[in-house]
Amino acid sequence: MSDTAYVQLLNLTAGAVLLCAVLVLWRRELAVIIRLFAAQGVALAALIAVLAWHEGSPELAVLAAGVAVLRAGVLPAVLRRALGTAREGTEPVREVRPVVNVAASLLAAALLTLLAFAVSRPIVELAPSPATQAVPIGMAVVLIGFFVLVTRRRAVSHLVGFLLMDNGITAVGFLTTAGIGLIVEVGVALDVLLALLVLQVLTGRMREAFGNTDLDELRELHD
Amino acid sequence: MNTVEVALGCAAGSALLAVLAALVVRRRARPAVVGTLTAITGAAGVVAGAAALLGERFAVELPWIVPLSGIALTVDGLGAAFLAVSGAVAVAAAIYGIGYSHHGLDSRGVQATFPLFVLSLLLVPAAGSITTFLVCWELMALTSLVLVVSEHRRRAEVASAARWYAVMTHLGFVAVLIGLLILSAPADGDTFAAVRAAAADLSPAVAGTAFVLCLAGFGSKSGIVPLHAWLPRAHPEAPSHVSALMSAAMVNLGVYGIVRVGFDLLAVDAERWWWLLVLVLGAISAGYGILQAVVSTDLKRLLAHSTTENMGLVLVGVGASGLFASIGSPVLAALALTAALMHVVGHAAFKTLLFLAAGSVLHATGTRDLDSLGGLRTGMPLTTAAFGLGALAASALPPGTAFVSEWVLLQSLIHGLPAPDAAPAAAPTVTVVVLPLAVAVVALTAGLAVVTFVKAFGVGFLARPRSDAAAHAIESPATMLAGMGLAAVAATVLAVAPTLVLPTLGRVAAGLVGSPAPIADAVSVELVGVTGLLSPVLVVVALVVAAVLVVAIPRVLAGRRARREARLWDCGGGPLSPRTEYTATSFAEPLQRVFDTVLQPVQDVDVTHHQESRYLIAAVEYRRRVPDRIERHLYEPVLSFVTRWGRAGRALATGSVHRYLGYGLCTLCALMLLLVLA
Amino acid sequence: MTDSTTLGLVGGLLQAVVIVAGAPLLVGLMRQVRARMEGRVGAGITQPWRDLRKQFRKEPITPRGTSEVFRAAPVAMVAITLVVAAIAPFVTAASPLPGVADLFVVVALLATGTVAIALAGIDTGTAFGGMGASRETTILALVEPTALVAIFALSVRAGSTNLSAIVDSTLAEPSAVLSPAALLAAAALVLVIVAETGRLPVDNPATHLELTMVHEAMVLEYAGPDLALIELGSAMRSAVYLGLLANLFVPWGIATEAGVLALLVGVVAFVVKVGVLGAALAAAEVFLAKVRLFRVPELLAGSFLLALLAVTASYVLA
Repeated sequence: MSDTAYVQLLNLTAGAVLLCAVLVLWRRELAVIIRLFAAQGVALAALIAVLAWHEGSPELAVLAAGVAVLRAGVLPAVLRRALGTAREGTEPVREVRPVVNVAASLLAAALLTLLAFAVSRPIVELAPSPATQAVPIGMAVVLIGFFVLVTRRRAVSHLVGFLLMDNGITAVGFLTTAGIGLIVEVGVALDVLLALLVLQVLTGRMREAFGNTDLDELRELHD
Repeated sequence: MNTVEVALGCAAGSALLAVLAALVVRRRARPAVVGTLTAITGAAGVVAGAAALLGERFAVELPWIVPLSGIALTVDGLGAAFLAVSGAVAVAAAIYGIGYSHHGLDSRGVQATFPLFVLSLLLVPAAGSITTFLVCWELMALTSLVLVVSEHRRRAEVASAARWYAVMTHLGFVAVLIGLLILSAPADGDTFAAVRAAAADLSPAVAGTAFVLCLAGFGSKSGIVPLHAWLPRAHPEAPSHVSALMSAAMVNLGVYGIVRVGFDLLAVDAERWWWLLVLVLGAISAGYGILQAVVSTDLKRLLAHSTTENMGLVLVGVGASGLFASIGSPVLAALALTAALMHVVGHAAFKTLLFLAAGSVLHATGTRDLDSLGGLRTGMPLTTAAFGLGALAASALPPGTAFVSEWVLLQSLIHGLPAPDAAPAAAPTVTVVVLPLAVAVVALTAGLAVVTFVKAFGVGFLARPRSDAAAHAIESPATMLAGMGLAAVAATVLAVAPTLVLPTLGRVAAGLVGSPAPIADAVSVELVGVTGLLSPVLVVVALVVAAVLVVAIPRVLAGRRARREARLWDCGGGPLSPRTEYTATSFAEPLQRVFDTVLQPVQDVDVTHHQESRYLIAAVEYRRRVPDRIERHLYEPVLSFVTRWGRAGRALATGSVHRYLGYGLCTLCALMLLLVLA
Repeated sequence: MTDSTTLGLVGGLLQAVVIVAGAPLLVGLMRQVRARMEGRVGAGITQPWRDLRKQFRKEPITPRGTSEVFRAAPVAMVAITLVVAAIAPFVTAASPLPGVADLFVVVALLATGTVAIALAGIDTGTAFGGMGASRETTILALVEPTALVAIFALSVRAGSTNLSAIVDSTLAEPSAVLSPAALLAAAALVLVIVAETGRLPVDNPATHLELTMVHEAMVLEYAGPDLALIELGSAMRSAVYLGLLANLFVPWGIATEAGVLALLVGVVAFVVKVGVLGAALAAAEVFLAKVRLFRVPELLAGSFLLALLAVTASYVLA
């Protein structure tokens, strides 16, 4: 594989990951958000596949397949189950009154991306290579995921934000070290799956208790 | 195959088998099975310790058990002594526990945690690397916490005591962690051998900080003032066999830690002020502990305070040993350390006996309050005899277990001042000031210990019962008596024939300090290097012969008449009620008045008048409480400061999930900005 | 058998007999001195023996509700004092049991005797028994530091706490008795002895008022042979304490080699020294009043200070 093709593909897939994250911040319909998350999973798998092709490592290829199955298949399915069949009338369920409005969110996303670039500079300078130069993108995805976690009111959006963070951390991991080791990766993946299953059950309980999954109902946790 | 290796393996195997049995066996048979297996664990520990004391050495590294550093076990002389002690106490406590575990204590959780606790007590002295030590230490803390909390459904104070214990033991753990990590920083690897080799590279300030931190953490575990507050709360609330293990085996491991760090790991960096600090803290703890015991009316609390006193005496010995080593008298240093180790062994024996007997009393009467006990001699003769033997041993009177170790300690302190016609100016000023005061403190604590145990034994077991519960007490079941019997045999053997263990302990101490063995291998206790001879066997024989003579001669000379039973002199006013008996509170009142400024008791007198006339009194109620002054002046300011901060922090918790997550995001971004700008 | 062992055995036996026989006479002497100084005729030196003989012949009585501790305490106390009487250096400097003739052991054994009686006092279950036990053990606890620190002072010179070694070192260097250390230690030990044997100003042995009693209150319930043993035991304790005071500081006359003459001289010297000390103590008592119980700690603190000064002096000044 020629070098320029590699660099192009790498930047393409990394950019796709970031784009999906920003779109999650922009769109308000929950079903669309889940689809965007699935798309990001595909982009992440493609990123790892590119790395695998460049390194020529079959282990990474297996991991890319695993990531694709997990983050583009299993997790979005669980999220859709958490979304449930509840619909308000015939309208698709959407995010209502986010804590920070869309325009401000997008501006915040831009600032966080800049912060991510600034912070990742020492890491990039440590070992300059096309892979490490995409690290700031992964950091930005982490921060945007955290931002989604903080500012969304629906439980499903929360879950998506948490999973965005995990995607970003995985991306950074693969870009810096070309894999963290099979055992650790499997462990982290199982961890995330378990957390998601638990949160799905909790979302169902919330719906039974309050009729919707608005997190503002959870005000009891104070003095 | 090494005996030590086999025995340790057997101990581990039997403990794990006991845990399995606790989860699987039915409730009826559970205490018996678990108790027997745990007793086997303890016995294996004793065998391992004894074999190692007799010269066998054992070291193994298992890197696959714990990731990143693995487990390393090393049994040397010092560890072997503590290993044997823990094992012996565990045997007695486990057998006792078979009869004691009932409604609540035979649940799966409690029965499964008990063998783990015993195993951790055996593994801490056998640890050979810092990670192993910390892992086993934390296991010991957690299992003992679970056991302390096991009776929380019956009494409300158990939960509060467990909270105190949990917080303080973990604060101690943090101190020990930081201290040991400082030690292991310049070493390659965290085994004790590596740390020892790298100790010479530490600067005096760093070594001093590490020692002080370790002293704080280990001292808290031993119940040394001012970090002792958990001991008189947690030990009484635990079940009695667990109290015995905690008081007679777990607190020793604090002393083990201090000796290991000060005499072994940091031997090249040790400075005089370290050992002065240890000695001063030990002396203060001994005095304060026994003073609290004198005015205490709760039987088990009294024993817990007595543990603080004994550990204080042990630290006086350790501190004196270090002091002597730093001024260049290795023989005296070895002697003082031998006294400390002997006191640890003797204290384990008699404290186990005392706690098990107190547990018998609690089991039979349901109360620990001395002011409502009494007259137990008629209903529980064997328990009374056991407690009496333990009280004699604990009060440092001959022939007693504590007397031998105190004698050796006093000999080492007294010979610290050379005769004036010896080399002039051989001892620095600090010893001239410190040694007589140390002797005075040891003497005062010995005297107060006599008062405490006369009170505990006399008021609690003799005379007439002061309440219905005490009047209807019956003797304990056979397994409890067997446990007490084992401890009693150990205490008696150590009192009459201390030379079974003294020369071996002397060799261990001499090895640590680097001097010839201070105690000769003879039948009587004969000191080497200084003049001193004590023969406990001859004391006992002489007393027996004299008693026979005293009984026989008047009978021969004056003839024998039958004994008649008569009424107590009651001034002709009718039979005396138990209300005229002296209580524990009144027994200790003169001493409480003498030490008024130290104890500062709080007294309340409530007078209830008749409704019809204020001149007639219906009832008078007198209440006296002796609070812990150190708690009031040291702990309460810290706790109120922390509470104020907590209350201020409540304002941050408004209930909005978004805000909580926002805190996290803002902190993360702030940290990143700091990274970028710095 | 070596020379010192025979000396020790014979001397020990002789000491025991002399003390058992002579202790009531010592008490009689002290009472007689006091009586004469107070203007009374007195009952005579042998009155305590007559009392003992009368009591030994009486019927033994056990109060209802007491246990073996009550019956065993008098035997224990007398046995302990007998052991100390046999092994301490009173008539001879050598001891039959060197492993027991240690100053710490002797002081602690005598404390054990007090503890036995205190337990018997509590065992009776009466208020006076408990009161006496409480006061007696309080005084014991406060006297321990003084006693042990004074022993410290004495042992620095001799290099050991073995009683024979201390006596031998004083015999070898007679002028050491006049050193400040020895004088201070002697003063401290006098107060210790006053406290332990229950004499004025700490306790009045002749009081009839129960609320002022310390030692007497513990033994109120004893009668007959038990009381005789108790009285004999207290008398022996006084003799032993005074003998220790005498021979630790003024040991001349003590037998250092086996021989009938030497032993006889030792016995006579011992009797004379103890008699003189006892008479002096009794004479001082006439001029003293009993101190309030809660003033006793001040007294004992003063004696502790003397003992501490003795230790410092024994090191700093030769």
